[in-house]
Amino acid sequence: MFSYSVVGAQLYVGDMIFVMIAFIVLMWLIKLVAWKPITKMMQNRSDKIANDIDSAKDSRTKAAELAQQRQVELDKTREDASGIINTAKQNGQQQRDQIVEDARNEASNLKSSAEKDIEQQRQEALANSRKDVASLSIEIASKIISKQLNEDDQKGLVDSYIEGLGKQK
Amino acid sequence: MTIGGSTSTFNFLGLTFNLGNIISVTIACVIVLALVFALSRHLTMKPGKAQNVLEYAVDFTNGIVNSSVSGEAAKSLGLWGFSLFMFLLVANLQGLFLHVDISGITFVKSPTSDPVVTMTLSLMTLTLAQFLGIRTLGYKGHFENYLKPFWPFIIVNLFEEFTNFLTLGLRLFGNILSGEMLLSMITSMAMNGGPKMWIAAFPLELAWQGFSVFIGCIQAYVFVVLSSVYISRKIELED
Repeated sequence: MFSYSVVGAQLYVGDMIFVMIAFIVLMWLIKLVAWKPITKMMQNRSDKIANDIDSAKDSRTKAAELAQQRQVELDKTREDASGIINTAKQNGQQQRDQIVEDARNEASNLKSSAEKDIEQQRQEALANSRKDVASLSIEIASKIISKQLNEDDQKGLVDSYIEGLGKQK
Repeated sequence: MTIGGSTSTFNFLGLTFNLGNIISVTIACVIVLALVFALSRHLTMKPGKAQNVLEYAVDFTNGIVNSSVSGEAAKSLGLWGFSLFMFLLVANLQGLFLHVDISGITFVKSPTSDPVVTMTLSLMTLTLAQFLGIRTLGYKGHFENYLKPFWPFIIVNLFEEFTNFLTLGLRLFGNILSGEMLLSMITSMAMNGGPKMWIAAFPLELAWQGFSVFIGCIQAYVFVVLSSVYISRKIELED
C-alpha cells in the first residue's frame, strides 16, 4: 500500500509537514499546560515524602535521646531526693537528741533550783519559827511571871503592855 | 492516498494537502490538548481525581520510556513519550466514534488510519533516535555503531533502520485501517440489507468496535514501546 502511494499517486508531502508541525506544537502545548506543572508537583511530592521520612527518623532519634536524658535525670533526681531525705533524717535525729538533751538539762536545772529554793524557804521558816518560839517563850515566861506580881505591878505591866501594843500598831 | 475512499486534496505553496488528514489530525490534537488541559487544573500536593488520572498516565508513559531508556535521557524523553502516547491513543480511537463522509469523501476519521500520518510519526521517531544518538555518542561513536559487530554488518544495520521505519509506521496504520474498514463494511452491510440485517449487524458492529478500542490502545502502547527501544539502542554503545 505504501509502495502504491509512492509509485501510483502523489505523496502528500504537505500532510507530512502538517503532521510533524502539529505534533511538535502539541508537544509544546502539553509541556506548557500540563507537563511542567505535573512533573514539578510530582517532584515536590517525592521531595516532601523523602523529607518527611528523614525528619521522622530525626525526630525518632531525638525522642530516644530525650527519653534517655530524662531517664538519666530521673535517676539523678531520685538519688538527690534520697540524699536529701537522709540528710533530713540525720538532721532530725540530731535535733531531736539536742532537744532531749536541752530538756533534760533544763529539767535538772529547774530541779536543782527548786531544791535550792525549798532549802532556802525551809531555812527561812526555821529561822522564823525560832524567832517566834523565842518571843512566845518570852511571852509565856512573862505571863507566868506576871501572875506572881501584885495588882499594881500587874496593872503597870498591863499598861505597859497595852502601851507596847499601841506602839506596835 | 486513496485507501478507504476518495479524498479531497488542495495545493498550498506547491505542496499537496489531504483535507481529511488535516482535519483529523487537528481534531485529535485538540482533543488531546483539551483532555490534558482539563486534567491538569488545580494541581495540588494531595491529588484530586483528575490529577490522579493525569499522574497515572504520566507514570505509565514514564514507565514505558524508563523500561528501555536508562539514566538522564529518560527524563528528557518523558514528555515525548507522554505526548506520543496520548496523541496515538486519541487518534486510534477517534475514527471509532467520529467518522464523517460527505458525498463519498472522508473528512474526519482516525488520523492513524492513513499511512502518511503513521509513517511521518515513525520517521520523526527514528530521526529523533538518530539525533539523540549523535548527541550522546558523537558522530564517530554513532556511525561506528553501524559497523558492529564487524564491518559487513553495515548492510544489515542500514537495512534494519529502513525496516524499523517501515514496520513501525505500517503496523499502526494496518491495525487501525483494518479496524475502520471492517467497521464501515459492517455498517454498509447493515444499511443495504434491510431491517433484519440491521438488527443482525448491530451486535457485530458493537463487538468489533470494542475490539478496535482494544487494538487502538495496544497499538498506541506498542508504538511508544518500540520507539523508546529504537531510541535506547541508538544512545548506547553496542558491544
